[in-house]
Amino acid sequence: MSPEFSTDRGTTPSAITISHVSKTFGAHRAVDDLSLDVPAGSIYGFIGPNGSGKTTTIRMILNIILPDAGDIHVLGQPVRSAARDDIGYLPEERGLYKKMQVRRLLRYYGRLKGRSVAALDPVIDDWLKRLQLGDWADKRIDQLSKGMAQKVQFISAVVARPKLLILDEPFSGLDPVNAESLRDAVLELRKQGTTIVFSTHDMGAAEKLCDRIFMIFKGNKVLDGSLEEIQQRYGHDTIRVRTNGGAAALAGLPEIDSINDHGNYQDVRLKGDPQAFLQRLVQKTGVQQFEITKPSLHDIFVRIARPNAEDLRQQMEAAR
Amino acid sequence: MSRILTIAQSEFLTLVKTKAFIIGIFLMPVLMGLFIFFMSYAERHSDTENRRFAVIDQTGVLYPAVEAASGAYNKQSGPDDARTGPRFLPERIDPAGRPTDDVKVELSEQVRARKLFAFVEIPAVIIDGGPGVSVHYYAENTSYERLPDWLRGVLNEEIAKLRFDRAGVNQALVTKLTARAPLATFGLVERTSDGKVSEAKEVNDLTRVALPMFFIVLMFLSVMTSAQHLLNAIIEEKMSKISEVLLGSVTPFQLLAGKLLGVVGVSLLLALVYFGGGVYAVMSIGRFDLIDPWAMGWFVVFMICASLMFGSIFLALGSACSDLKDAQSMLQPAMVLVLAAYLGSFVVMRAPDSALSVGLSFFPTMTPFVMMLRIVMPPGPPMWQVILAIAILFASTAGLIWAGGRIFRVGLLMQGKAPNLPELVKWIRL
Repeated sequence: MSPEFSTDRGTTPSAITISHVSKTFGAHRAVDDLSLDVPAGSIYGFIGPNGSGKTTTIRMILNIILPDAGDIHVLGQPVRSAARDDIGYLPEERGLYKKMQVRRLLRYYGRLKGRSVAALDPVIDDWLKRLQLGDWADKRIDQLSKGMAQKVQFISAVVARPKLLILDEPFSGLDPVNAESLRDAVLELRKQGTTIVFSTHDMGAAEKLCDRIFMIFKGNKVLDGSLEEIQQRYGHDTIRVRTNGGAAALAGLPEIDSINDHGNYQDVRLKGDPQAFLQRLVQKTGVQQFEITKPSLHDIFVRIARPNAEDLRQQMEAAR
Repeated sequence: MSRILTIAQSEFLTLVKTKAFIIGIFLMPVLMGLFIFFMSYAERHSDTENRRFAVIDQTGVLYPAVEAASGAYNKQSGPDDARTGPRFLPERIDPAGRPTDDVKVELSEQVRARKLFAFVEIPAVIIDGGPGVSVHYYAENTSYERLPDWLRGVLNEEIAKLRFDRAGVNQALVTKLTARAPLATFGLVERTSDGKVSEAKEVNDLTRVALPMFFIVLMFLSVMTSAQHLLNAIIEEKMSKISEVLLGSVTPFQLLAGKLLGVVGVSLLLALVYFGGGVYAVMSIGRFDLIDPWAMGWFVVFMICASLMFGSIFLALGSACSDLKDAQSMLQPAMVLVLAAYLGSFVVMRAPDSALSVGLSFFPTMTPFVMMLRIVMPPGPPMWQVILAIAILFASTAGLIWAGGRIFRVGLLMQGKAPNLPELVKWIRL
């Protein structure tokens, strides 16, 4: 496992401060002594493999479950106080009342955040128009397409004008056009000062959208910083190669630690001398590209989360 | 509090806008009325056939009475183009010395050939009577009872008349002398402040059975409507992860309280509609004495408690399940509680002041049904029993809401296999 990585961010006010938080379910420690600081106004990526403690952390931020130890402050207040009225939440698994009309549903969610119908209606109209749902306000949810329902779910998270917005896989299942509409909406919200926690398995989207990225693995923080900072830390041993022989030409070269095959090119992580590797490669095949490159977030994620031999052995034993 | 009211309002509107509820609350009484009207109409118009039947009268004296009575009966059924009943058309059979069995075989053939509907054999000794002596009625359609019933009445009346005549006794006098004295049931009388004796209230089947039944059925309808809705709603919210979004805005207790308040509102609406209908119905028959505001008040109190109590149980169990299939099996014990309270009421109705009835009045899940029943059935329970039952009911309702809230809080976020009873108890203690 890689060591924890974090940087000092100076005096930017925090939207979320998590201090030494732990949570255990039975014998399973879901979150282990986690500390995290999410700066206000940023888009903060939450990444981590399934079952790593991401959802538990989000639920603790939302005050849906309580930590066993440690403190959580949201928008400057202890999480158990009224801060939840300023938090919008879009869960990964979507759910809306199928028989409810769109407007009634959005009003309901907004009123649960303490907003009046009079204050909500203009916001609802604005969002419905912005996401091309203006004609669907009086339709029932079960009359909408999947993409439309997903956009309604997004509006339900933002209808109360939250200061902190937690989005769990907001773009999954959306076509590129709808995904772009939502992405624009997210960026617009950030521009207006909303802090956005963006939980995703889509490393490409995280790289493009997030100001900072936090990765949790087996309940522990393993990454925390800007993409550039993270890549600098992991970026000295990765070489992008494009050869006539493709991935097959790389087989058996002793300097290689791992290969991420992209088809037309391969990202290679080395454990030996790059010069020796290049010499051996040139002898073996024609080299079109040889470039020392920063690893993608995807590569870093896989490097951290890929089970090692010992983990696999333990998993197999447990399965037996 | 405003969040609780928001949830309550949403629950209320969601339930009262469903087709099932609208049918249940408004159309059901209309449908029942239409059904009764249809049954009555069908009774009068479904059987207008000619029922031709043969009579082998071995007494030689009874047939004329049958013929005369059939004439009167047919006249009563109205003219041919507007009949409200069948035509009974008797036909006298003279065996003319042939063996009776041969005649019976021949008549049976005629019945099979649809020339006759039935035939009757009246033995000669029927007027004297005796063990084993009876009129024999033969038919292919033995489930048709109208003709044999009518014949039984006509023949018995004529036979009795003949027996009185033979004995030289005046039948009219005997009938007068043996007429049964009616017995009317009244409540107690008391002397009023001006020294007069108050008029006792007559108790009849309407006040003794129909009124208590009305309250109990309404209570059952209210509990079942609420419980079923709560169960479906919570399973939908849990399965589609709506509950997770809601818990990001309100506490589990606020969610539970809002839902319970919503179904209490629905129960009150039910009571309002049915009370309105009931008051209209008794006023239309001039029975203003049946309108009892105190009983209605008690009903509202018991109904609110029943909705909260059973609602908490159903919500807690529903929240612990991940799908409807799990919920159905888990809810069986809760359904037994509701059904026991409902069916137990019919036992209590037979003897509302028995030790069993008094004991059941203090069992929390039965109290709303049993105590309500005892209050509307004269003479009513002593006030101390009502107060004790209400105290136990309030405490139990509060306890069940608390326990339900604890289970609800944990259950809403749980996935997978439904918990067993020890696990539910563990959730309460968490």
